Amino acid sequence: MNVIEASQITKTYGSNGTAVHALRGVDLTVGRGEFVALIGPSGSGKSTLMAVLGCLDSPTSGRYMLDGEYVEKLSASRLARIRNEKIGFVFQSYNLLPKASILRNIELPMLYAGVSSKERRERGMELLEKVGIPDKAKALPNQLSGGQRQRVAIARALANRPALLLADEPTGALDSKTGAEVLELFGELNRQGNAVILVTHDPSIAARASRQVEIRDGLIAQPEARPHEPLAA
Amino acid sequence: MNGAFRIRLAAAWIEIRENLGRSTLQALGIMLGVASVLGGFSISDSQRRRADELFAKLGGFDKLNVMSSEAVKDGKPSALQTANLGLRFLDAEEGEDQKGSVVEAVSVTRNARSRVRSATADQERMVNGIGRDYLDLDGYTIREGRAISNEDFQRANAVAVLGDEAAKTFFPEGNAVGKTMKVGDIPVTVIGVLEERVFRFRKGQNNIFRRRNRIIAVPATLVSRRMQGDAYQRLDRVTFRVPKMEAMADFAKDLDGMLRANHRGQQDFRLDDVAARIRRQRSQGDVYNMIFMLSGVLALFGGGLVNVNIQMAALKERVREVGVKMAIGAGGKEIFKEFMTEALLLTGLGGLGGLLLGVGFSATITGVLGVPLYMAPISFVSAFLMAAVFGLLFALYPAFKASRLSPMEALRYE
Repeated sequence: MNVIEASQITKTYGSNGTAVHALRGVDLTVGRGEFVALIGPSGSGKSTLMAVLGCLDSPTSGRYMLDGEYVEKLSASRLARIRNEKIGFVFQSYNLLPKASILRNIELPMLYAGVSSKERRERGMELLEKVGIPDKAKALPNQLSGGQRQRVAIARALANRPALLLADEPTGALDSKTGAEVLELFGELNRQGNAVILVTHDPSIAARASRQVEIRDGLIAQPEARPHEPLAA
Repeated sequence: MNGAFRIRLAAAWIEIRENLGRSTLQALGIMLGVASVLGGFSISDSQRRRADELFAKLGGFDKLNVMSSEAVKDGKPSALQTANLGLRFLDAEEGEDQKGSVVEAVSVTRNARSRVRSATADQERMVNGIGRDYLDLDGYTIREGRAISNEDFQRANAVAVLGDEAAKTFFPEGNAVGKTMKVGDIPVTVIGVLEERVFRFRKGQNNIFRRRNRIIAVPATLVSRRMQGDAYQRLDRVTFRVPKMEAMADFAKDLDGMLRANHRGQQDFRLDDVAARIRRQRSQGDVYNMIFMLSGVLALFGGGLVNVNIQMAALKERVREVGVKMAIGAGGKEIFKEFMTEALLLTGLGGLGGLLLGVGFSATITGVLGVPLYMAPISFVSAFLMAAVFGLLFALYPAFKASRLSPMEALRYE
């Protein structure tokens, strides 16, 4: 089974006269364990697609199955649950809560999922180890370097063992060396079986993915080989 | 329960601490409201408590007074009215026997103005002819000597008990007991001196009991028989002590019927239920409580509106934070709870601060008034609850707004 099966996804903002068609019928399938780079210039609909795939926004029309469940018609609170359980977000600007400790930041998705405090703590420490900063549990985000912050964000994204990691320009705010390390971490997570979608405008970063999907004017630019799909099905 | 509330509370505390200026402003509205409600309650409670003390010193609430009054309002009295004898000792005795057990004590009094002389003083004075439990029912206690006994009363013995001031005036050298003074032309032996009575409603005010210290008490029979030559032993006042409050109304009704029958159907007496009178006076005090409460509520209302404003402005700065939380799986309900937890904490802290401020406020005002401070626990509870209700009520709207943000737009918000 695939993690993502989206067909004929459209997203229209505004009403008739001033409607903006951000997505105009996107078909996309992502298999388990795939590493997909979503590329495209700004204004291409890339961010909108990411929002729809990340269940931050509902599509105007089309069908979207995430991890075996149709989600395009779900209520806001059900979508919150889906995001919590199935998706791990990593943002360009880290988006850590500045007033909470690193461990608390990582525990937060588990807290929303109703995980016991003991288990939260254990798994939080485990994840910190996994992303390579086990000694920063008590620190505050602003005491960490950019690269470290992004590692925390990745640990947080992994907290509830999501079916999909969704990273939006995760290296955009990092220098090239740190960026490369973060990308390496994504690669490693992918090798461990996590499906990763990486949104970027940088072709050299996209090249690290196993597949590149280009968005242009709200459509997938060219249908290309999907090496994983038949195998995974 | 997986400690979610505790964590929300901790986060709320951090949020409040990190935005101290804003939080203080928000808490201040609550604080002032609570303080004004508590202060208002406490000031009127203190006054009331002081009034209760006064009534206790006057011999208690549980009394029914019967006063003689004019049956003839105007015009000539009818033959019936002329023949009527008025309030007598007989009335007191029959009243006491009425339904037997409910009356615990009874006192009678008959007053006269008279010239009173001793070796050192010669004054025109009120002389109180008293009987039965008068001293007890009017809150007097004997300091030296003894009280007027029933035997003194029955025999109309020429004895007197003096109030503190009277003793000092007529016997300035002290040791009044055993000495003789003249009431009118009757030589009277002093058998007892009363304890001085002092009550100032507020510090620095006159002693309300000043007149009571001037009392010259003799047996009521001495006044009626020997000073006034009244064979019917008419009285000015009869007082019954009825400790069972619930029995009072019935007793008063029966007494009224009995007295009317004794008095040939004439309404030449007046009943005064002390407890009922005090209750009426108290209900006037309730008006002040209402006013205080209202002003407190208005303060809380104003504070609440300011809070909504501040909270809405603060929300603008926190849209992105809400977006992040939503992205990692917080539903609207969770966001709502987080905002409400903050309001709860802020209201709680503001409320506690308000209670402290209210105590200070009440202490200052009662200090200025010179009334001892009394604060009822229920005032604290109700002031705090009111703040909690307002604090939470006004937090609903901003929290609701935050919970309804779209995650996508919230994440992109700059």
